Amino acid sequence: MANPLSQFEIKPIIPFQIEGVDLSFTQSSAWMGAAVILCTLLLTLGMRHKSMVPGRLQNVAEMFYEFIANMVRDNLGHEGRKYFPFVFSIFMIVLFGNLLGMIPYSFTYTSHIIVTGALAMLVFITATLVGLAKHGLHFFSLFLPKGLPIALAPLIVAIEVISYLSRPISLSVRLFANMVAGHTMLKVFAGFSVSMGLVFGILPMVMNVALIGLEIMIAFIQAYVFAILTCIYLKDAIELH
Amino acid sequence: MGLTPEELKKQIQSARDKDTQRSSAKGRSAVDGRSANMAFRATIELVSAIGVSGFIGYWIDQWLDSTPWAMIVMLFLGFIAGFLNIYRAAMGQDFKIGFKEEKDQEVKNETDKA
Repeated sequence: MANPLSQFEIKPIIPFQIEGVDLSFTQSSAWMGAAVILCTLLLTLGMRHKSMVPGRLQNVAEMFYEFIANMVRDNLGHEGRKYFPFVFSIFMIVLFGNLLGMIPYSFTYTSHIIVTGALAMLVFITATLVGLAKHGLHFFSLFLPKGLPIALAPLIVAIEVISYLSRPISLSVRLFANMVAGHTMLKVFAGFSVSMGLVFGILPMVMNVALIGLEIMIAFIQAYVFAILTCIYLKDAIELH
Repeated sequence: MGLTPEELKKQIQSARDKDTQRSSAKGRSAVDGRSANMAFRATIELVSAIGVSGFIGYWIDQWLDSTPWAMIVMLFLGFIAGFLNIYRAAMGQDFKIGFKEEKDQEVKNETDKA
């Protein structure tokens, strides 16, 4: 367990293979399932009483709801309301992935690029399809800025297309890199604590306490960034400038 | 809790004032945090644009058997696209594809300040 990267290893809980394709139920799948169940429980149990003066759970549920509702309203305007469930689901699954990863001995599924990449591709494909459905082929005028001299068009269009295609990469790498870096750092400092002995080991431990606070903040910030970039990408697709 | 609505309003107002004072005192570290975030964002933007264009270039080379020309050209374009993305992020245009009109930009800056 001394290797700081061993925490990211995928371990199957129920091994299962079809035609040589590994479809095991892993600890990653288990934590994803836990995240879905926990946020469903939080929202349904929290809103069970629907009281005027909210209790603790209801307060948390309403806070998440209002946070995303405001974000969607600010970015997408009134007609953006139909995208609220999409943005909210993305936000909750990323946030719960990040936060559940902060529990000792748990597994952070957002620290795997295949997970964040799949989420980012979902956002990217949804935004592109929304744009195509709304504007038809006119959607591709997104890559051609207004008032551009025609001689420059091939160059600029190529650059804009690359810039557009790099979105899902930067979206997924940002979340994945933050999570891996943070958790590796925590593990490294925890390792220092063990190797420096009982007296001097206190120092890295104090550092680790501060880092855990920072990590929890990063968990929230990264979920927020993921959600707001989803909003921005949808906005670009909905209202061609 | 025998508070009239006016008293409650006053209490809420004073609590809000305190909150704004506290957040302005924390302003400096907030700016530092934002700069660090910006730096991290810039790195990822640059790397991902170059990565995507390098991959496309490699793919075109495989297809047209033109190694290494397409990859070289695409890497240059990717470099430009990466810097363009960083510029946009830094100017508060948030990774928007295509240039915004001047007026939009001014309005956005105003709202950013407010």
